[in-house]
Amino acid sequence: MTHLTRRHALGLGAASTGALILPRFAIAQADNRPSITIAVQKIANSNTLETLREQSNVGTRTFYSYAESLIDTDWAGDLSLRPGLATAWRRIDDRTVELTLRQGVTFHNGETMTAEDVAFSFGSERMWGGAGQAGSAGLFGSVTAGAAGKQPPAEVVAVARRAFPGFEKIEIVDPQTVRFVNKTPDVTLEGRISRNVGIIVSRKAFAEAGSWLDWARKPVGTGPYGIAEFKPDQSLTLVAHDAYWGGRPLLKQIRFVEVPETASRINGLRSGEYDFACDIPPDQISEIEKNPRHEVLGGLITNHRLTTFDKTHPQLENPLVRRAMTHAIDRQTIVDALWGGRTRVPKGLQWEFYGDMFIADWAVPAFDPKLARELVKQSGYKGDTIPYRLLNNYYTGQVSTAQVLIESWREIGLNVEIESKENFPQVLAKGSTRAVRDWSNSAAFNDPVASITAQHGPTGQQWQIGEWRNDEMGKLSDELETSTDRARRKAMFRRILEICEREDPAYTVLHQTANFTAKRRDIQWKAAQAFVMDFRARNWGGIRS
Amino acid sequence: MLRFFFLRLGRAALTVALVVTFAFVVLRLSGDPALIIMSVDAPPEAIAAFRKAWGLDDPIWLQYLRYFSAIGQGELGQSMRDGRPALELVAERIPATLALTLPALALKLGIGIPAGIYASLHRDSLIDRIVMVTAVAGFTVPSFVLGLVLVLIFSVQLGWLPSGGQESWRHAILPVLTLGIGGAAVLARFTRSAMLEVLGQSYIRTASAKGVPWPAVVRGHALPNAAVPTVTIVGFMVGSLIAGAVVVESVFSWPGVGRLLVVSVANRDLAIVQCILLLVAITMVSANLIVDLLYGVLDPRLRSGAKAGAH
Repeated sequence: MTHLTRRHALGLGAASTGALILPRFAIAQADNRPSITIAVQKIANSNTLETLREQSNVGTRTFYSYAESLIDTDWAGDLSLRPGLATAWRRIDDRTVELTLRQGVTFHNGETMTAEDVAFSFGSERMWGGAGQAGSAGLFGSVTAGAAGKQPPAEVVAVARRAFPGFEKIEIVDPQTVRFVNKTPDVTLEGRISRNVGIIVSRKAFAEAGSWLDWARKPVGTGPYGIAEFKPDQSLTLVAHDAYWGGRPLLKQIRFVEVPETASRINGLRSGEYDFACDIPPDQISEIEKNPRHEVLGGLITNHRLTTFDKTHPQLENPLVRRAMTHAIDRQTIVDALWGGRTRVPKGLQWEFYGDMFIADWAVPAFDPKLARELVKQSGYKGDTIPYRLLNNYYTGQVSTAQVLIESWREIGLNVEIESKENFPQVLAKGSTRAVRDWSNSAAFNDPVASITAQHGPTGQQWQIGEWRNDEMGKLSDELETSTDRARRKAMFRRILEICEREDPAYTVLHQTANFTAKRRDIQWKAAQAFVMDFRARNWGGIRS
Repeated sequence: MLRFFFLRLGRAALTVALVVTFAFVVLRLSGDPALIIMSVDAPPEAIAAFRKAWGLDDPIWLQYLRYFSAIGQGELGQSMRDGRPALELVAERIPATLALTLPALALKLGIGIPAGIYASLHRDSLIDRIVMVTAVAGFTVPSFVLGLVLVLIFSVQLGWLPSGGQESWRHAILPVLTLGIGGAAVLARFTRSAMLEVLGQSYIRTASAKGVPWPAVVRGHALPNAAVPTVTIVGFMVGSLIAGAVVVESVFSWPGVGRLLVVSVANRDLAIVQCILLLVAITMVSANLIVDLLYGVLDPRLRSGAKAGAH
């Protein structure tokens, strides 16, 4: 008879545990790729990773590791468009782009990407709120935030409509070719397709998910890293997708952790827990770089800080007052004093990556206090208060910038007073104290319709909330959206800039935004001209020993 | 005693109702959740649909009645951000918070009370001075400053402990210390004051004069009488177990109820904020109720007072 003593039992238990652990240990031993931890202020505002829902700067930072669009953007380079999941594309006509799909692309679930997946990614289930629902009265009738069922929440459909306003269909020509068909002519289709809302996701994975929310928290894409675990408000762990079409990723794991306090992110970097610390204010850069082991990267991104005007406010009705305000600001001093010269005063609300549409000879209104005082005098301004609704440093250096602006306007005889607000709805609420406020504008792709018309035109926020409108600008915006005459488009854009920034100011550009990331100096990595962090092999130079 | 109990219970229920009402009104007056959750750029029809779906278009009194009737049925609403039940989301975070606040409470009690007693028994001695200076320092330094200082010393300089996160028990040490040191300082001060007051009473002198050994006087007469104010403070500490670490959780990136509260207030996720406030109110009020009842146990005069009031 065999007696099993406690010692034997323990021995057997230990042996079994060892047997369970050893093979995994062996695998871990074989994979000696580095893992990195990145401290961010926030991972996702919406607590989802579906780009159609998470349209934020912070979401932009992570999406590029786990998902890809048909047309890629050279984020770490000049922001030009380049092949992504499509190896080539060509115009069929003013409203159709034909794309050749990359072969051998595998999703994180092991499925091969097909033309059907592309059609699904732009289809009604993911983007337009289910068959037959787009545009119907019931479209927004059941907002469940996607917790039950597969119906995407209302904002997903709204984002899709804004991103692809003229979308008609995806036409599958053959297994390797699809056509993006628009209802209206649009010269910016390639740029729109490159946006992060146009990521290609697995149709099968969507079908297998329990609910839209389950899906949105773990979308299955084709990026070099797959989503291993997402803990909302806490962390996002991505692991190498070894079947990635672009080659085996050089990192084993990327972990984003949410550390809301700037000081805590910096301390974690110093103590060696984090390899990267994002969202570093400019005044912390020199302090961080005192430690030779760390450096701060980053710089200009495709986002400009603005001050916007409510032209319906009695004191701002006269454009001369607004024009005076635009000439009173010494923008270069703001850049030098508050940003340590690490950003610049741009040429109005546009970026060089617009290419042919960039108007190189345009400039923001010159700093000219004498002219500004003259304009105030001509306007007949009587000294009444002009309220300035201000958030507490939602934007980097926002309060300090506001103080500079207040003093600049006081110098030319305008009585502008700060009203502190807690959130954007309070800033935007219509009322007698809505006159001046802060904003920032980005361009999601390389054309003015991605910014000036989208943000200040008839469909833009400023127009929609009744702050500012100008009939001529409205007509030009509409035409700019659909015109295919490139020379005419450029002329229209120039006229729009004249109206919005000079004649009837809707806003005034203060400076370009810069985004700074602190990191270990021994890590060879380049920051992008956007919030995007690129951890593909081409942008990872390894860790210097 | 029964009347005393029900009187306190009624008062507790009223306090909870008032807290919930206040939170309900203030949250709705300070920003439209639709605009915050959907983003200010969302099309007007989407915002309108969101308001309709969540009943935000209804008059505030109707929303309030609906909310109260739902609470009556044990329904605390759903998160507007992800549609999950608010209670479920909050309950998920409670263990993380308790993992900080319970050890911190033990630290407060374990250090604060003995230090206070010792200081009072050795009044004006060097140790008394040291205890009091430390207590005042611990009491006055804000927790976020103390937390950052501890991180600078133990994480950045010495590299002994992690500066944030929740991966292991080692991650809890600095936040627990931050919470514990401040609380211990408060307790030490209160215990010392209470003890000094009791030690000055005539019955202590009488007991000593009768020849009762000093340790027995302290144990039998001083400590029980000094316990009443100390129990009050401990009651507050127990009451703040669930949401007493808002700042510390933010500094140490600890995913507890406090972080959830901050994020939910910022997003105007009304159901979550209301659920947390309701739980906090219930915990605080329950702790106070227990303290009230303990008064009766610790000090028989309060019991008889209640009885006298009943006649």
